[in-house]
Amino acid sequence: MSKPAFVYVTYIASTPKKVWSALLDGEMTRQYWDHFNVSDWKVGSRWEHQRCDSKKVDIAGTVVECSPPNRLVLTWAFPNEIEDATKVSHVTFEIEPHENNMVRLTVIHDELEAGSKMEQGITRGWPIVLSGLKTLLETGTALPMFPKHS
Amino acid sequence: MTESITKGDSFVYTIYIRTTPEKLWDALTKPEFTRQYWCETWQDSTWEKDSSWKAMIPDGRVADSGEVVEIDKPRKLVLKWRNEFRPELKAEGYSYCTYELEPEGDMVKLTVLHEIAVPKSKFIEAVSSGWPPLLSSLKSLLETGEPLEATTKWPKRHSKD
Repeated sequence: MSKPAFVYVTYIASTPKKVWSALLDGEMTRQYWDHFNVSDWKVGSRWEHQRCDSKKVDIAGTVVECSPPNRLVLTWAFPNEIEDATKVSHVTFEIEPHENNMVRLTVIHDELEAGSKMEQGITRGWPIVLSGLKTLLETGTALPMFPKHS
Repeated sequence: MTESITKGDSFVYTIYIRTTPEKLWDALTKPEFTRQYWCETWQDSTWEKDSSWKAMIPDGRVADSGEVVEIDKPRKLVLKWRNEFRPELKAEGYSYCTYELEPEGDMVKLTVLHEIAVPKSKFIEAVSSGWPPLLSSLKSLLETGEPLEATTKWPKRHSKD
């Protein structure tokens, strides 16, 4: 039986470069994701999802592929589960220009452990984060902030 | 929903929009809004439980037909929904489309669930690629005043001839 995948597609009036920045630039992610994404972005390097206030690492993984501004692939796990292969999932961001002045952003989160806290968390979390990213890029201000991550 | 629906196919999409449930409800149902972001279509219904419901294409054809199954404005709307202009989709019969609008502070969480009692449904495949750009465009319209250009016109590939 294959492991579940969560796929979310959103369309944003923006450019691939701006969407790429919005995903990785701390000044942007601080506004809609309440976290920094920290890495040197070289293939094989560690990547960390750090809380803005405390720098606590909520999620970590490695950079699998980094092809700005169109494709980023990361592994993804709670830091204390990163050595357990069954608990490491996989996130692909595909940033494609679409028709005039638009971007189709597809997030594919796969290799999830069925029924896990991680699967539940990301199913709820991705629509919140990606709705916030779209609002920030299109209106210049962030969505009224979401419930803080536990 | 009946058990046969759970053995079929479904698509679910959640999006958060800076608006009110009332404005979002109007944008989902009223012609002056849907014509802007929903490919120029409009919906024909009296919006009462068990009343008929049709989605109309600008050239006069019916895109989809069905009825209002449940209505609790501005929180929940359930439509029975069958495609009318693509024979292979019409053949699959009626689906159910549920909109849930939940206020969260200054935002509304909109969840759209579309289900049909047909496994590996072509209809669900079609709406799976249709809902994300439509709902993205609706969000842009409500938040910026402009829909996304790509969803402002009825697609040429589905024109009458």
